[in-house]
Amino acid sequence: MSLEYLAINFGIGAILALSLNIEVGFTGIPQFGRVMAALVGALAAGGLMSRIAAAIFGLPWGAEYAENSARYATVINSALAVNPLTAVALLLVTLILAIVLGAIVGYATAFPALRLREAYLGITLLSFGEILRSILYNYTPLIGGTKGLSIPDVFRFLHGFRSQSAIIFILFVVILMLAIAERINRSPLGRVMKAVRDSELAAEVYGKDIGNIRAYALIIGSAMASVAGALYALFTQTIYAYQFSRYEFTFLPWAYIMLGGVGNNIGVVLGTLLFSSARMIIVIYKYEISAVIPVDPVWLEYLLTGVVLVLVTKFRPKGLLPERPAFTLSRRAIESISRKAGSSG
Amino acid sequence: MLAILFSSITYAAILGIGCASITLLYASTRTFNFAHASMISWGFYIVFVLYKFFGYIPYLYVPIAALIAAAFGILIYYFVIRRLLDVGASEITLMMVTLGVDLILFAVLNMFVDILKRGFGIDATKINIVLTDPIVVRIWGTPIKYIHIISIVSAIVIVVVLHLFLTRTNLGIAMRASIENPTLASILGIDVNTVYLFSWFIGGLLAGLSGGLLVLFMEGTTTVGFDIVVFYFAGSIVGGLYSIYGGLLGGVLVGFSERFLTFLLSYWIPDIIAYRFAIPMVMLVATLLIYPKGLAGLVKRV
Repeated sequence: MSLEYLAINFGIGAILALSLNIEVGFTGIPQFGRVMAALVGALAAGGLMSRIAAAIFGLPWGAEYAENSARYATVINSALAVNPLTAVALLLVTLILAIVLGAIVGYATAFPALRLREAYLGITLLSFGEILRSILYNYTPLIGGTKGLSIPDVFRFLHGFRSQSAIIFILFVVILMLAIAERINRSPLGRVMKAVRDSELAAEVYGKDIGNIRAYALIIGSAMASVAGALYALFTQTIYAYQFSRYEFTFLPWAYIMLGGVGNNIGVVLGTLLFSSARMIIVIYKYEISAVIPVDPVWLEYLLTGVVLVLVTKFRPKGLLPERPAFTLSRRAIESISRKAGSSG
Repeated sequence: MLAILFSSITYAAILGIGCASITLLYASTRTFNFAHASMISWGFYIVFVLYKFFGYIPYLYVPIAALIAAAFGILIYYFVIRRLLDVGASEITLMMVTLGVDLILFAVLNMFVDILKRGFGIDATKINIVLTDPIVVRIWGTPIKYIHIISIVSAIVIVVVLHLFLTRTNLGIAMRASIENPTLASILGIDVNTVYLFSWFIGGLLAGLSGGLLVLFMEGTTTVGFDIVVFYFAGSIVGGLYSIYGGLLGGVLVGFSERFLTFLLSYWIPDIIAYRFAIPMVMLVATLLIYPKGLAGLVKRV
């Protein structure tokens, strides 16, 4: 149970942190609205995929679905349990929708990112997230507003191993995302992003379109975060706008990347792992802790996050694994090239 | 109608005081203070707890709340911000570190509430002392409470006192000089660190005052600061982040529009009440996209 808690926190957190790393670590955009892309991803699962599933199985899929989502989801689930092909297709459709919607949202946020910098941009992005959240919380037909919405379970055909296989799938996506982020890190695009971060003027002098680069970072980052949101919604089988809090989906990923090392993908994943483990320990020893001190252990988690943020920025501003220059080729390839160059010259 | 107008103005004044705090801290130390949220909550709770323990009238405890929040401000500056400013940390780093402080303050406040509940039997998870505020006078049947008068008066007093402080006293002039050009100010013998420390003191004071007044205006939980801090942010950004008056004005505008504009619009669009929280945000985004310098461009720079 607690391992499951660790795995899901780590999996979702790592994807969010990697996506944040592309925007913050590589390109220097203060993305304080990470929750928006995650919420859009959950919307792809809850608002769209569940409707598609309802339409496939001949159930009402309009606003009526939101009103009685729990009942319809149960019907769809029993149908999906014997229909693995449809379930897998729905999973893929969700992920594709999440990527497309996330990319669109990323592109939309690129417009303020063109004109604004630093604190102004950070607060604008934060407000975008809050706007979307408060609208979805109040607008019932789409995801049920305050009631939330039940989502069909696409892992149901695995019966007893439902959670385990869902977690394995999420961890697989984490590895995929890590590979993508690392590939970007080593690509020309990654180098331009870092040039934009370090000196916009210099990047501009070399003929790079800063607006485009920032837009690419936002599109890629938002698409990745959107996948994380979709997976989270699929795993919990519900979507509820207030679940997607500023703390959990924006500030915690920031803490992960600050601890692990801004700009270093491996470090970011390591930071996420350490943080999730600490959170799991607090959850496991909940009763023991509250027997010793008369407070709810959940506040210890906030305290831990806060203390880690302050200490890391004060004493180890580059994080546990500081950013290293990325080599486009493997070390061996570079050495062999230099040897050849040495022998010929 | 009149009741809504009064409460909108009150809310706007309370919001404006907090926005002035954010703006002052950003203008002087480049720090966009995320810890503002918890400072508001602390101000909110200190007034409540002292009132619960000692009684009398809650307004006596508002200055105490402001001073405690000011002490937080000094501690934050002294232990965290000062060093980061010395090494020339980026704005983002400064924001993140105040976020860390915010989470610490939030956790400690919640622990405090838990202890209060188990040790003293005071359930402070959701507090509401709005009704203890007596009615001063009725205008055409609309009750006017002390909070309506006191919050507006404090906002006006703050403007006047800050103006006199910034233009007439040595420390105030030194502060303006350090905001304009820290290097030049320190060459002229101004101790920039003292000035920064003092701006964190005033910043904390205003945040605590805003939170302390808020408890008499609305009910709330420990997350009250966290929930409405976005409006404070919106107000200070609308104000332009470099003039304290701009910040105050931006906060007033955002607060007023959230309450009163929604009320007016609800005649045409009945559903809009539910989306009240989106209005200041939309205003913020619109301001930034149309006029990125904020309202402060319209006010004389101080």
